Amino acid sequence: MAKTASKMICPHCGVEMNHHCDKLVYATDPQEMAKVDPALGGLIEEFHTCPKCGGVASRAPVPQCV
Amino acid sequence: MEANRPLFIPVILGTARMGRMSLHAARLVNQELGKRAGVETELIDIAQLPLPTNDAGEAIKHAGFSATMNRADALVIVSPEYNHGYSGLLKHVLDSCLKEYIHKAVGIVGVSAGPFGGTRVIQNLLPVMRELGLVTIFWDVNFSSVQKVFAPDGKLLDESYVRRIDKFLKELIWMAQTLRQGREQIPLD
Repeated sequence: MAKTASKMICPHCGVEMNHHCDKLVYATDPQEMAKVDPALGGLIEEFHTCPKCGGVASRAPVPQCV
Repeated sequence: MEANRPLFIPVILGTARMGRMSLHAARLVNQELGKRAGVETELIDIAQLPLPTNDAGEAIKHAGFSATMNRADALVIVSPEYNHGYSGLLKHVLDSCLKEYIHKAVGIVGVSAGPFGGTRVIQNLLPVMRELGLVTIFWDVNFSSVQKVFAPDGKLLDESYVRRIDKFLKELIWMAQTLRQGREQIPLD
């Protein structure tokens, strides 16, 4: 699975958010279907929470350069 | 973490039917939650959410509901049992969010006119909660024969429910605190 290189920053507090979850979501959009990970059967979405305000955010993983 | 930030635990009333007795149950749970130090709450009536029905899912996300779910540390869902299931509108509303729920606690209050207190609707909701990323607790509250529990004006006729709600909320608050710590401090890897 691709690992995200950079930390998400809370848009309200400006602090680094905690990446605490990867969730498998199922694609319905034809464009998203092209991105489905065949091993997992869906798309991974990362979930992050701000340790200061508790705000949540999500994003698709950004592949880490090697 | 700002340790003294209060927990926010809204109560979702999961039916829009006219004459719904679940409203009294939701108000009671909301009132009991509001008595607890360090907890803020509000009652969300899904009948008041102006969601369209010509689409579904996150495409119809309501900004206010999303913000409330984002702020929440836990949820209480008060659901009547209709034909052994939950209301279609409740599912429609819940499906409008996802990231807002992840790793947050949820407790379910079942309501029925019959003797089983919504046990079947609670069982039916559990897999939905799991897929939404919510973490269920093992205490429920079951309002059976709800027409005997509340007077038509909403007055509670059976005080034993207060004790049951107390046990339910203690567990929910513990889970909410634990999961907040996890969300904010414990990395996935």
